[in-house]
Amino acid sequence: MASKQIDEIVLANATTSYAAYGGYKALEKARAMTPAEVTEELMTSELRGRGGAFFPTGRKWSFVPSKEQLPKPHYLVVNADESEPGSFKDNEIISRVPHRFIEGCLITAHAIDCTNVFVYIRGEYSGPYEILVNALEEVPKDVLGGVTIVVHRGAGAYICGEETALLESLEGKRGQPRSKPPFPAISGLYASPTVVNNVETIATVAPIIAMGGANYAKLGVENSRGTRVVSISGNVVNGGNYEIEPGTSLRELIYDLGGGIAGGRELKAVVPGGSSTVILTKDEIDVGYDFDSLAQYRTAMGSAGIVVLDDRCCIVQLGIRFSEFYEHESCGKCTPCREGTRWLTAILRKLEDGRATQADLDLLLDVCDRINGKCLCPLGDSDAIIVASYVAKFREEFQAHIDEGGCPFGGHSSLDHVLAPVAMHTLAPVAEVPA
Amino acid sequence: MTLYELIQAERAKYPVDSQSAVMPALRLAQEEHGWLSPEVIREVAEALEETPAYVKSIASFYDQFHLAPVGEHLIEVCTNVSCAVVGAQQVLEAFENECGCHAGETSDDGKFTVRTIECLGGCGWGTIVSIDHHYRTYVKPDDVPQIVEELRGE
Amino acid sequence: MSELVTVTIDERTVQVPKGTGMVETAQAAGIEIPVFCYEPRLGPPVGACRMCLVEVEGMPKLQAGCTLTAQDGMVVRTARTSTQAAEGQNSTLEFILVNHPLDCPVCDKGGECPLQDLTFRYGPGNTRMTFPKRTFEKPIPISPLIALDRERCILCYRCTRFSESVAEDGQLVAINRGAQSVIATFEDEPYVGHFSGNVTEICPVGALTSTQYRFEARPWEIQNVPTVCGMCPVGCNISATTREGKVKRVLSRNHAEVDEGWLCDKGRFAYGHLNARDRITAPLAKAGPRRFEELSWEEALDRAEELLRRGAASTVTALSGGESVEEAYALGKLMRTGLDANTAVLPEEIPDGLDAYRAPLSALRSAKTIAVVCDEPVVERAPVVELWLKAAKRAGATVTYGAPDEAVDALVTDRSGPTYGAQNVYHLPRTPNGRGVADAWSAAGDGEPVDEEPVLLIISGDEAALTASVRSLAERADAVIGIGMFQDSFRGLADLVLPGTSYLERDGTTVNLEGRLQRQRRAVLAPVPDTLAWIAKLAERFGVELSPYASVVFDEVAAKCFGGITFGDVHEIAELPPRAEARSERQEPGSQSEPGSGLKLVAYRPLFSGAAVARTPELHFQQPNGELQIHADDARERGIRNGQTVTVSSNGTSVELRARLMRDLARGVVRVADGQQGELHQNVEVTP
Ligand SMILES: Cc1cc2nc3c(=O)[nH]c(=O)nc-3n(C[C@H](O)[C@H](O)[C@H](O)COP(=O)(O)O)c2cc1C
Ligand code: SF4
Ligand code: FES
Repeated sequence: MASKQIDEIVLANATTSYAAYGGYKALEKARAMTPAEVTEELMTSELRGRGGAFFPTGRKWSFVPSKEQLPKPHYLVVNADESEPGSFKDNEIISRVPHRFIEGCLITAHAIDCTNVFVYIRGEYSGPYEILVNALEEVPKDVLGGVTIVVHRGAGAYICGEETALLESLEGKRGQPRSKPPFPAISGLYASPTVVNNVETIATVAPIIAMGGANYAKLGVENSRGTRVVSISGNVVNGGNYEIEPGTSLRELIYDLGGGIAGGRELKAVVPGGSSTVILTKDEIDVGYDFDSLAQYRTAMGSAGIVVLDDRCCIVQLGIRFSEFYEHESCGKCTPCREGTRWLTAILRKLEDGRATQADLDLLLDVCDRINGKCLCPLGDSDAIIVASYVAKFREEFQAHIDEGGCPFGGHSSLDHVLAPVAMHTLAPVAEVPA
Repeated sequence: MTLYELIQAERAKYPVDSQSAVMPALRLAQEEHGWLSPEVIREVAEALEETPAYVKSIASFYDQFHLAPVGEHLIEVCTNVSCAVVGAQQVLEAFENECGCHAGETSDDGKFTVRTIECLGGCGWGTIVSIDHHYRTYVKPDDVPQIVEELRGE
Repeated sequence: MSELVTVTIDERTVQVPKGTGMVETAQAAGIEIPVFCYEPRLGPPVGACRMCLVEVEGMPKLQAGCTLTAQDGMVVRTARTSTQAAEGQNSTLEFILVNHPLDCPVCDKGGECPLQDLTFRYGPGNTRMTFPKRTFEKPIPISPLIALDRERCILCYRCTRFSESVAEDGQLVAINRGAQSVIATFEDEPYVGHFSGNVTEICPVGALTSTQYRFEARPWEIQNVPTVCGMCPVGCNISATTREGKVKRVLSRNHAEVDEGWLCDKGRFAYGHLNARDRITAPLAKAGPRRFEELSWEEALDRAEELLRRGAASTVTALSGGESVEEAYALGKLMRTGLDANTAVLPEEIPDGLDAYRAPLSALRSAKTIAVVCDEPVVERAPVVELWLKAAKRAGATVTYGAPDEAVDALVTDRSGPTYGAQNVYHLPRTPNGRGVADAWSAAGDGEPVDEEPVLLIISGDEAALTASVRSLAERADAVIGIGMFQDSFRGLADLVLPGTSYLERDGTTVNLEGRLQRQRRAVLAPVPDTLAWIAKLAERFGVELSPYASVVFDEVAAKCFGGITFGDVHEIAELPPRAEARSERQEPGSQSEPGSGLKLVAYRPLFSGAAVARTPELHFQQPNGELQIHADDARERGIRNGQTVTVSSNGTSVELRARLMRDLARGVVRVADGQQGELHQNVEVTP
């Protein structure tokens, strides 16, 4: 299969040693160019952000006003908060190719005329954190060229992956999203022009400069150029990260790279791009894994976390478990998300427990509708969108929960009785425990 | 270096007048004291020249900061979907049995706190268990007795 | 800058400056966009509550009106003409009410509650939430002044934003995340801060309420009297809420140039002093060293006349600065024209020539450089001025403390001295109406004061009676007449005491620190006759013509010192008089702090002190504790950390205090609340 054979670009030549990495040649090349030329190269490459929103990276950089236009320091903030269920690629990128990542930081800093880089890494990633800090210590001073890279550790909050919440958190505030505009490129960290990019995006920068944007753009398909690191997990034989060429079909990813469904079971559904993306049924996996193809199914590559679910998965329970996640991770700032995600979980649980009536299913969809499009950031919307997609694609299964007065899996679903953190006593107890 | 001095070193990494050092400061304080008691929060606040209320509002936002005591070892089992469909719940139950406490609780001997946690970012290698902030991959219920044994020995 | 753009809202077209907020733009078109979290005084909009959703042509999703700004050609639809927007607002209210207890019948906010009003207009008529609502222990005190009901809270974050970015006290915060979020103080300790009460007013539901007002009145039983606070020289505009002849609460009455709708806790909560146990309700005569006996008014006026005749021109009048212009003038006219007693102890010296530098307090916000030349904390003297300074800093101003090295735009000072090139100068008097009282006294007569020991001393006001210099003067006088509200102020001091009234009980005018003449209205009847009434009676006996009516007295004063305006010209939202033309750079040196090796110790008078606060037990927790305020750099040089216990010493004595590091005071100055300095001298050293 062609998909397996591609040459790794981001994950190539894994090493944590500066010497073995062979120095920062792309950085040298970039520094010989003007910042505008570097940005131009990125535009040519058609690289789009790997954090989930898929925004063209070169364009993002070009929004940063010059220091003459706005005399303030510029910042590069790298988003290493990777917390979307199903995604674990940034973990491996930092761990296996830290120097490609650091080199990308330095090239980007050059392109946006900045000397302060912050890497916001999720608090749980102690291993990658140590690797990154050690790698940074290896980089010679003159290579850093006056750029400081501070690694800032998060402390367990998915919402801090949202770029403005991340900036708030980095500023020492509660990690709650800001309303946009102003966009970070104008007023980001410390109210100064800021570029926020994902780890993989940054790790792709050095290869692009090395091979040339035009060569990079030869890979992939229209609107989805280059390569992508996808995370495959769930009921597959070979879970893991794979660098692929977009356009490869989801079927190939699951059956060739992932080795198929574990235990010889049947495929039931696939979450294609992390928990926040619309689910695909087993009949919808002959779709190309790229932006345009997935858009036909109203779904997306998101953060490229492919969660494969076999026939033992109760979709109502899937809704509960993800909804519990969003409820737990809601920052609490905006009303529809804070109250709505909690309400969704409750209605879903009622369905699962067999206490629901037809009216509850209608209510479920109506609450989804009432959340969707009204939140401050995409977190709340995501919960509503995915739950609504579960009902749309697996309506009979929801109906069965009502008709049979309980879960048709009869306690044998692969998600049965899973204890979510939100359902557990938390170690940060509230002042009063809600009744 | 004392905690106060360590916190000042963190502050130096960020612009003056910014509050950015609060998370690193809380992490340092927690490493030193195990959890963030009101007294520790006050100590951090004073070192940062902030109010304790502000520091608490930050600490309570993030899951990794403990506002109640935790055991000597912190065992966190990911129960998000990718881990759950490969048996996270059974792994959790094995830990509950071996450690002698329910999820969300600390064992009577103070050795273990067991809790579930949202996706740890290792989905393809599940079940992921974070033990004292270091990941174990592919954990199966059968592995649990030995893990707990090792921890007890430490 | 202010390019006009055309926006269409619900088919109405308006022109507003580009970038105007959509809530204001709609308002200009006469259309309401409902809001909860939006409150421009709290800083940039946050878009949290999602009550303000509107439909915008060309945008697929509903937009939060509060964060949207007017752009040319924008077409906006609110719930009036868009079913999508109406549905959005209905959704938000449904979500808000999911966990709201709907305990309106027993809620103090009921009847004046935005949540009730907006639900009535935009909300769902029934509930579809069948799960148990979240419950909390309620109400919990977050201080003796404020109760918090977490069930009613809709998490609009107005209160925490006030604490974080207006008062900047960092006391009231949100803790936890998501649906578990609650508003809290640290470990339920009291919310200590000069401005805490404002959160009860900005809360759009009944989550933060005043303990003093709890269960005291329903909105249809009350009257709000527009008046002006008489507790400090800022003169914040207030509404006194009364029910059955009693003041039940004090609310702000936003004067955009003076207070922007904020009050300090003294102005808001100290009204309880009106009903103090030792309130003087009848004239009193000394009947023993610590004892008074009551007199009839006829007897009292006879006694007063007798004492005044004896004192004659050797009578000295000590004023407190808490009198209205009219009271001070009436007293002055009686003394100066009736007795030729021209000697007064004025509450303070007001530097002259200030009128040339007059500017509204709100102008501080647009100053780029501000010098504060005042050793005492501004917040303790004129609390709301501190909020303006903070606003200026947030807007990017450089605020320096102590004599500045370079010329500044604005100067805030407590002394007469150089103006450092400032265009605007704000002098901070000590007393609420020190300026008006000085003006009124000088307008009342033109005889020369004499410099001899007083035969009779008149002490006007409790604050004057509590002043050490006045008390020592009293010891030297043959007789003392007091005018005041509380027995304890005059016990052992006065031979005759005539009952005084509070600013909430009188009609008249007062001049604030800007030089703004403002009108105070009688909110409630005093338990005693009006001061002007009995002064007029007494004046008659000395052949002095005085009206008992504030309006008539005012017109008489105004002709002499306020350019002849009439009582009616003093509007409910009073204007600042124009600047005096003549302007000479004031150069006289102020009180120089002599350079010494040590630090200069300043003992300041706390805001939460004085006769009214002493009689409001709920406010006592706000009194300062043993803290030494020290500049962070002075502290670092001495190896002192924030919160550490330090020894303050001079000339062999020492005091232990907790160090509080700050940046908003001058280098070389350390401060303690008055009374905590012990025997310390002015020059001290501080060691860890
Ligand atoms: C709720 C939420 C969580 C997110 N989490 C992440 C994350 O963990 N890592 C990431 O790179 N982007 C995350 N994003 C996307 C970021 O907001 C942002 O778009 C991205 O970091 C930009 O980088 P890119 O342009 O390189 O993709 C998240 C967005 C949302 C709404
Ligand atoms: S959608 Fe959720 S996470 Fe996003 S701002 Fe609203 S409450 Fe916060
Ligand atoms: S008023 Fe706009 S979101 Fe609250």
